[in-house]
Amino acid sequence: MAQPLSEDDIYRTSTQYRLWSFSPESLASQRKKTHELAVDRAQRYADRDTHLLTEGEELRLVQRYCEQIRTTSDHFKWPVNVKATAVQYLRRFYLSNSCITYPPKEIYKTVLFLASKSEATHVTLADYARRISTDPEAILAAEYKVMQALRFTLDVRQPFRGLKGCLMELLNMAEGMIGHMEGVEEGMSEGTVVAERTKELPSPGEGSHTKWTPPSNGKTQLKHVQDRIQAAYSAARVLLDGPASLTDVYFLYTPSQILLAALQLADGPLTGFYLSSKLPTDAPVRPKILATISACADMLAAFNQSQVLTKDERAKLEERLEKCRDPSTKDLVKAFAAMRQDGTGEDGAGEEKAKRRKVAREKNEKEGQDLFGPSLTASGT
Amino acid sequence: MATSPAFDVPAEPPYKRQKTSSEPMNPSSPAPVADLAEQLDNQERKKYVKGKKIGSAHLVSDPQKLVAIKKIKVGAEVKAFGISYDSLREIKFLQELDHPNIIKLHAVFSSKGQNLNLVLEHLPQGDLLKLVQDTANISYTPADIKSWMLMLMRATYFCHQNFILHRDIKPNNLLIAANGEIKLADFGLARSFADPFQPMTYNTVTTWYRPPELFFQAQYYGGRVDIWSCGCVFAELIARDVLFRAWPENEINMVKLICEKVGTPTDDNWPGVSKLKGYVTPSEVIPIRSKDQWMMGFRAIGETGVDLLMKMLTLDPRKRLSAEQVLRHSFWTESPRPSRLEDLPKKGGGIEAMGEELKKKGGELPNGSARGDKIARKIDFGAMNG
Repeated sequence: MAQPLSEDDIYRTSTQYRLWSFSPESLASQRKKTHELAVDRAQRYADRDTHLLTEGEELRLVQRYCEQIRTTSDHFKWPVNVKATAVQYLRRFYLSNSCITYPPKEIYKTVLFLASKSEATHVTLADYARRISTDPEAILAAEYKVMQALRFTLDVRQPFRGLKGCLMELLNMAEGMIGHMEGVEEGMSEGTVVAERTKELPSPGEGSHTKWTPPSNGKTQLKHVQDRIQAAYSAARVLLDGPASLTDVYFLYTPSQILLAALQLADGPLTGFYLSSKLPTDAPVRPKILATISACADMLAAFNQSQVLTKDERAKLEERLEKCRDPSTKDLVKAFAAMRQDGTGEDGAGEEKAKRRKVAREKNEKEGQDLFGPSLTASGT
Repeated sequence: MATSPAFDVPAEPPYKRQKTSSEPMNPSSPAPVADLAEQLDNQERKKYVKGKKIGSAHLVSDPQKLVAIKKIKVGAEVKAFGISYDSLREIKFLQELDHPNIIKLHAVFSSKGQNLNLVLEHLPQGDLLKLVQDTANISYTPADIKSWMLMLMRATYFCHQNFILHRDIKPNNLLIAANGEIKLADFGLARSFADPFQPMTYNTVTTWYRPPELFFQAQYYGGRVDIWSCGCVFAELIARDVLFRAWPENEINMVKLICEKVGTPTDDNWPGVSKLKGYVTPSEVIPIRSKDQWMMGFRAIGETGVDLLMKMLTLDPRKRLSAEQVLRHSFWTESPRPSRLEDLPKKGGGIEAMGEELKKKGGELPNGSARGDKIARKIDFGAMNG
């Protein structure tokens, strides 16, 4: 019988895996290529001594606008999936486009609106435009450009539901409610044993994002374990919301790796315990999986909010961008209108012509028949 | 390219599309240097625009196979919404789904005037509805029905495994490939499963195929809505008539028909149903239709087949089978075996038919036949979350 589908198989068919997953090297080379193309392009219209943005400055500016998207989305009180999708759209956009050509100040509003549509949060364009005090035309102007840069893929796989799943599973374990598990560590398939072990776990270590300490009398009860699990969940959720959006982890790791990394930062011993219920100690893939999770955790831990550009820094970069605006992308609204005109003109005219030709042909045929009677061969057979 | 630390398999696209060396520029492009995204887009376009045009099915022999191009034109609605929800949903989900019984989206590219072009698998044999309706020329057997239904259920199961609700399963969205395979198409109403407590619209799924919970305005639902629609398709294939053909086609008549044909939903057979917003306390309670009664109309499919049909058309969505449970039913393994693809009856609409198929905006029907399927399209976005 055929093998049932595994979650890994399904993930491998996703566009996120096929088009938007990279090694650190390939990610860096993609960005370099994009930056160089933009610089090349700028040579044609900018003064020789224009101080163009460096690749590093571009990256930081994009990061600043990821932060901007998060604030705006929170302002709208949109669910977290809209926010995460919009942030990844912006990051994906700037893998093939440069801030020099398309300043993020203009793109981020389009990206957020597109994410609200693709994630089924319905807000009208007029309403959205009004609430961010922007001309609706300006929001739509870049929509096709964004779709193109996203390579017409809109799905963003996210770690939030998976984390919720871990929370529910851990709570069940603490209560001893677990089903039969095969091939796991000794004793991990028995409810009461598992529940006892959750009480015996060492406290989250130094530097953990969860502040949890066992009760002062040393007698850890179910309720304490439940609190600990909830605390770890909340801390991991914060990491997924912030640092995971503002670093490259989505390009380099899978959603499950990201959420386990966040959980590990939140409460190492608890995460280790959870993983041992999935991965026996002697499983050959275990070291590799753990190393990947750790690497992702390091990346999340290395993020520091103070790295994000301040308002002043952002303003300075944008001032420089303004001085070397590409004339062909400077007025997106106008370019958009022209392109639509052009397109409908061409397509429409083409179809019109074809229609006229058809009408003329039919008319000729009809007249032909009237003049000479029905065709001989047709009547003869 | 070095291996990503995240995977065993290098993160490369399935086929070579990543060539990004500078190409001769599109002369009409306003930009002096095409950026990477533009270059990729241009490559796709060049691959597909050379073909022969028939209707809106644009046939291309390169790369070695026929494809159909569905052009999404920018209409007047673009001013109010930008790219429409329908188009975005279709693109979003088809890009993710790769299954023999789901229409394949090979590529998307943009053309002048910012039209989107969807390069779709070429499916020349029309749709299942045409076979069902052509009672004069087409006859088929229970084995054929089993074969078609199995393909439909595999497609549905695959959607649900990917956390996607189709929300518009009906015979005219089941296209037939040259080799006889069934392909689930039209993802314009699809959406991902919502998170718990996140409401969804109940005003979806073409009326005749819509499950009772949506008529009662349930906003939290799952894969079972599609199973009901599949059950309707199953019954339609057997009886060669729409199961719930409410006329005039409105919600009150639909609920009435469901009560008559399946039974009146009550708190006894569907705990909690009376708490749903749109539930109307019935004046008369028709008992759940017994298996014997079902057998009268659907004997042709056999007792096991009727058992499956009843379980797909169970009122309470919690008791209705899931896609996986449907596939585990003994109907599939019992005699007769499902027909082989090459033995399935075909109608042969040909290339022109596919062209017509693609021209449809969705929800429309051939020859303006009086099926008011357009209703499913009219989702009231203002009132709730889709």
